[in-house]
Amino acid sequence: MPVRLYRLFQGLTLIALCLFLAGKLINGKLTWYINMRFVPLTMLGIALLAMMAQVIFSQSRKKNEDDEDDHIHGSTRNLIILFLPVLIGILLPARPLDSSAVETKGVNVNAPLISNASTSQFEVAADHRNILDWMRIFNYEKDLSPYLNQNAKVIGFVYHDERLPEDQFLLSRFVVSCCAADAFAIGIPVQWEGATTLEENTWLEVEGAVQATEFNDQRTPLIIATSVQTVRTPEQPYLFP
Amino acid sequence: MDTTQRIRRPYVIVIALAALAILMFSLVPLSIFSFLSQRLPVFATVFLGIFIEAVPYLLLGTLASGFVEVFLDRQWMMRVMPRGNVSSAMMGALLGLAFPVCECGVIPLTRRLFQKGLPISAGVAFLLAAPVFNPIVIFSTAAAFGWGAMLFWRLGLTLVIATFIGIIFSVEKDAINVIKPILPVIHIHKHSHGPIVTFKDKAAQAFVIGADEFFEMGRYLVIGAMLAAAMQTFIGQGTLLTIGKGPVFSVLVMLTLAFILSICSTVDAFVALGFVGTFSFGSILSFLTFGPMVDIKSLLMYRQVFQKRAVVYLALLPLLMSLLAGVVSNYFSP
Repeated sequence: MPVRLYRLFQGLTLIALCLFLAGKLINGKLTWYINMRFVPLTMLGIALLAMMAQVIFSQSRKKNEDDEDDHIHGSTRNLIILFLPVLIGILLPARPLDSSAVETKGVNVNAPLISNASTSQFEVAADHRNILDWMRIFNYEKDLSPYLNQNAKVIGFVYHDERLPEDQFLLSRFVVSCCAADAFAIGIPVQWEGATTLEENTWLEVEGAVQATEFNDQRTPLIIATSVQTVRTPEQPYLFP
Repeated sequence: MDTTQRIRRPYVIVIALAALAILMFSLVPLSIFSFLSQRLPVFATVFLGIFIEAVPYLLLGTLASGFVEVFLDRQWMMRVMPRGNVSSAMMGALLGLAFPVCECGVIPLTRRLFQKGLPISAGVAFLLAAPVFNPIVIFSTAAAFGWGAMLFWRLGLTLVIATFIGIIFSVEKDAINVIKPILPVIHIHKHSHGPIVTFKDKAAQAFVIGADEFFEMGRYLVIGAMLAAAMQTFIGQGTLLTIGKGPVFSVLVMLTLAFILSICSTVDAFVALGFVGTFSFGSILSFLTFGPMVDIKSLLMYRQVFQKRAVVYLALLPLLMSLLAGVVSNYFSP
């Protein structure tokens, strides 16, 4: 491939990657892939890609009479491979991790994942705690009595774990430390008489009193649901510890 | 006779193929299609997660390499680097403080520094230590674990392993046995443009080199991220974590995890944090030391830069040494 043509395609691939990332940033879907705290890093990446493309394009415009002799060695393949992420992003439906990922990633009922679990975090008002907050409390607090029978109001998706009794399901969220690769699911058992009718993967807001139970040899909260409502998938489907 | 006549008629073949296809589709249970439609989006999300996370770091690394190529003087480098094997290996291990790169970025940069005359021992020590021993990673590890034992041991162990392996590599005097020669991406027959003089031209040149290297190394990031995502999507991890008990086994599980997760060294401390409580200090330490040195995508990149035998050493020595460190730590501080 002649150099100028190669430079042109190289620049186009850089622009494609740049626009792909910028698109994810603008429509807020970047947090389907990475932890919120690394979003500025992606912004830097977008800027660098744009700068690189700019330089490459200006190179491809430079006219050298000897250019006809220059040629590129076996890098056409690289262009295609670097375009694959954009292609996969377009062809496969963008979807945050859901219950089908739980099966390979496994579901966790303990929340060891938080070192800075200072008890101050437990002072969040009961109905503002998310699934992770509740699990932290049940993992770290020795005395649960102040928390029992508090009213919980949490959002998560339905995951039917076969280890649970018929009238219970796991209300789950994925916890992402840096990117979707390290995501793992956590879940709180919810008791609800219509549990079996709930479809896997549905996002719910569950309200009810918190009890303590044992699941998988681990002390965990159990919500006795008084209300179960279908909600839309939250803008940020994952929890960031 | 009969058969040859039949084969000559193309439409017979088409019908036969179509029938075969229908037969095959009916034999393949429908569940496979629903399985794939369930799992493929998971694959895409995990793959893009690793890719999006790593791209900025790879860009920074390849740009650093471009700037080194254009601005770093070979003579100066030869003068500055110490002569002795041990001292140059130690120097190399500390060089990360000047080049904050992660394990994707460090590979093109190391190759460039080799070209600029960096001794093998220093280069190998730099390659293995820089992804951990640099300001960004030190701060991110401190943010996750605090300024305590984990940070201290992570840095110390990385320095020791990197320097040690650097010294081992210094036995090989001929660089060609270790490093593959760089093939220029573009073959220029005649140099028509004169010497590059202005800073702007030089910077542009650095960006072009960076871009070429981004495409050369980026393909391993893409393929490595795909492999890692496929392994995570189609093979369960839950079982891996539940069998991870015992002083030796827990270390092995964390090493395997570091390899297949393939996450960037700048962020892996936050991931490791997730294993505190489930896993011992020693196994998390081995995760934090081995992961930045070897994982799926960096192994693929090593193959591009190093000769086969060197790649084997670069993968096995860190593995054995982090395993040893993890197990010893497990026995002494359970």
